[in-house]
Parts: sequence; structure tokens; C-alpha cells
Amino acid sequence: MVRVTGNFQSESPLDPKAFEVLHAAFESGWANPGKLSQSGARAHQLRNQALESIAASLGVAKDSILPFSSLSMGYFLGIQGICDRSSTLIHGATDRKDVFAIAATMDHEILPSDLHGKILAPKAQSPTSVLALHVANAETGVIQDCAEIVGRVNSDRVFLDATASGIRKPISCEYSTAIFDSRSWYGPADIGFLVVNKAAQWHNPFPHLNAAKVNFDAPLPLIIASAVAIENFSSRVTEARIQAQVFNAQLRQAFSQIPNVDIAGSLDSTLEHMLSASFMNCNGEELLRGIQNDGFSVDSGSACTADDLEPSHVLAAMGILTHGNIRITLHPDTTQSEVDGLISSVKSNVDRLRS
Amino acid sequence: MKEIDARGLRCPLPIIELGKQISTLSSGEEITLYSDDPATEPDLNAWSRMTGNKFAKLAEETYLITKN
Repeated sequence: MVRVTGNFQSESPLDPKAFEVLHAAFESGWANPGKLSQSGARAHQLRNQALESIAASLGVAKDSILPFSSLSMGYFLGIQGICDRSSTLIHGATDRKDVFAIAATMDHEILPSDLHGKILAPKAQSPTSVLALHVANAETGVIQDCAEIVGRVNSDRVFLDATASGIRKPISCEYSTAIFDSRSWYGPADIGFLVVNKAAQWHNPFPHLNAAKVNFDAPLPLIIASAVAIENFSSRVTEARIQAQVFNAQLRQAFSQIPNVDIAGSLDSTLEHMLSASFMNCNGEELLRGIQNDGFSVDSGSACTADDLEPSHVLAAMGILTHGNIRITLHPDTTQSEVDGLISSVKSNVDRLRS
Repeated sequence: MKEIDARGLRCPLPIIELGKQISTLSSGEEITLYSDDPATEPDLNAWSRMTGNKFAKLAEETYLITKN
């Protein structure tokens, strides 16, 4: 087995400090915060402290945050919670499949993307519609001009998907609800946070009997670990972004020297830590395996690497080459030698597959 | 006119085969590509932009490519 020396996949190990507190959190945060007992009161206090910390890092009110335990649930809560039966959902062609799944259950309209990954929003949309918009794309890192799109669509109900951008790109437009993924700040998987920015526009879309009490949550230890991870990453996010920008520029420069490459977006228009590049006439799966054999892990949006053999709908919507695709994620602990090694590996594998 | 029957081939084989065949043509000559791979149509969009060759969809799984 090849030892992986460079992790450029979107997944990464849990922040070490968050990992440390996770064990302690399971020990002290096992009780139900809603119950009247000493242990319940302690759990309630821990939960409040964690949510206050997360709210402060996100720059939102503590009472506006609701934890949930899977991303699909988060999309449902955030979008369906601001829709009614007559709503038309407007969303981008490069949104996550979860958004498409929700849109399929109601009247909807899909906004196209340009070659750079920017959502094209025509003027004069219905003000009664609901807009779902991602702050930055989870595959390509392309950042949307949210304020401009929100202004053009002219809907007063806006859902923002901040799962890829997290605290790297603060929200800069009016919105009703937003969701965040704890993994974006190196917290645990299977926990996210719904921010209800305009409470009057949101209702709990799950069947429920008591409107005053939400009937979804996430495990307390994961909430506490998320709080520790966001505190830790907040203190170094600026440094991480600067370092990632340097590495990203190096990768773009090196890849652009390879003939027939299609790189999604530009350095200025994407999240610094993400890069998607497609190499013409290369099989994505073989490219991925070749790079893996050199000790580097990357992701791919090519059809031959997907379970359903469908090409990435994001790349297809942009008009970017869908085959021979690799997706690179730069983490705070990525080193110069890993970047150099990855560049060398990509070059040699592309050469090999084209020969 | 040349034809490539790439039905049953998965990406990137239809585009690779197209690239090989079109290199033997002169400017303005055409080639018909048959492909049932779902990645072919989006990839032809990108391939056309990157190589300067033109394509038109004639019918389901049928594309006409004109050498630049």
C-alpha cells in the first residue's frame, strides 16, 4: 500500500483540539440539556456556551443558531422552512444536488452559470419567489456575487448555502436562512448549523406538535467539538487563507503550462483553498489512481469516478471539461513540499495518460 | 464523410477517439460522432471551445463536428 503523504481531498482530520475535547465532551455532555437534573443543567450550560462561541465566530445572534445532524437535513430546514405552498424556488445550476432534490418537489427555476461559474440572474423575478444561493461552490470554490444576485432576483426570502465558504468568506448580503458545515472549519462531520436570520420568515418544516420547541438537534459532544474547532480556526483563518493563496497560485501557474487544461474560475474569484482542473484526453479515474500511487489524495468530478457514472453537473453547467478532472483542497497544514510533489505528480501522470 | 461510432464507450474515450480522427481531416471537413455517454455533450462544449472545432447536435446521441 502506498503511504499518503499529501492530503488534498476535501475531507481532513478533525482539528486536534476539537478531537481532545470530544472525549471529554462525551464524558460531561451525555445528559439531556432539556431535562431538570443536575447533569441536565450542566449539559444545558455546555450547549449554551458552545452555541454562543459559534455564534460569535459566525457574527450572528446566539438565539438564531439551530444545530442539525446531516447536511441534507440542513438544506431541507433552510429552504423548505422559508417556502410556502405557492413558492417558486429559484436556484443556480451549480448548486448542490440536495437543492435540486428539494426544487423537484415544487415549482422551480434554474439560473444558468457562465464559464467562470458565476450564476446569471436576469432582472425582474417574482418577489414572491424564494432564492437559494451558494456563497461559494463546493466543487470549484467559485465565489458568487451574492448581493448582486439577491438584488436582481428581488426576492425577500433568501437561503444561503455557506457550507463550503464557512468563516473564510463572511456573508455580505441580506438573507433569511443560511447553513454552515462544521467541517469547513475542521470540526466534526455530521453536524451543521442553521442560522435563522429572519425569524418571521421561517417555520419548522418538519411535522411537529409544539411550534415553540424545535424537534431536531445534533449530539452535544459534536456541538462542543464544533465550537472548539471554530474558535481555533478563527484565530488562524487569515494566515490559512494567505498561505493557501500562495499555493493555489503556484498550482494554477504550473497547471496552465500543461497543454489543453481547463481550470475552473480564477484565483481572485474562488476560495483560496480550492482548485478544480480538467486535463483533456485523460481518464479521471486513472489520473486519480496515478496521483494516489505517488502518495497524494485528490478528489474528482469526472463521470468515471462517480457512483452513477454521471459527470459533475457543476462542471457541465459551467461548460468546463468534465473528464480528466481533479479537485484539490489546500488545508492549513499543507506544506510547500507537498504542493511541489503534487505538481510533479500531476504533470507526469497527465503526460503518461496522454502518451 | 467520416463517422465514429463511440456508442458503449465511456468518457473520455469518445473525445479521445474524436481527437485522433479529426487530426486527419482538413479545415472545413466534417465528422459524425455517435455517442451515448452522458459526458459527451458537455465535454463537446468544452472541447469545441478549447480546440476551436465546431459541433452541432443533430439528434439524440448524434453530433456533427466541423474541423477548424
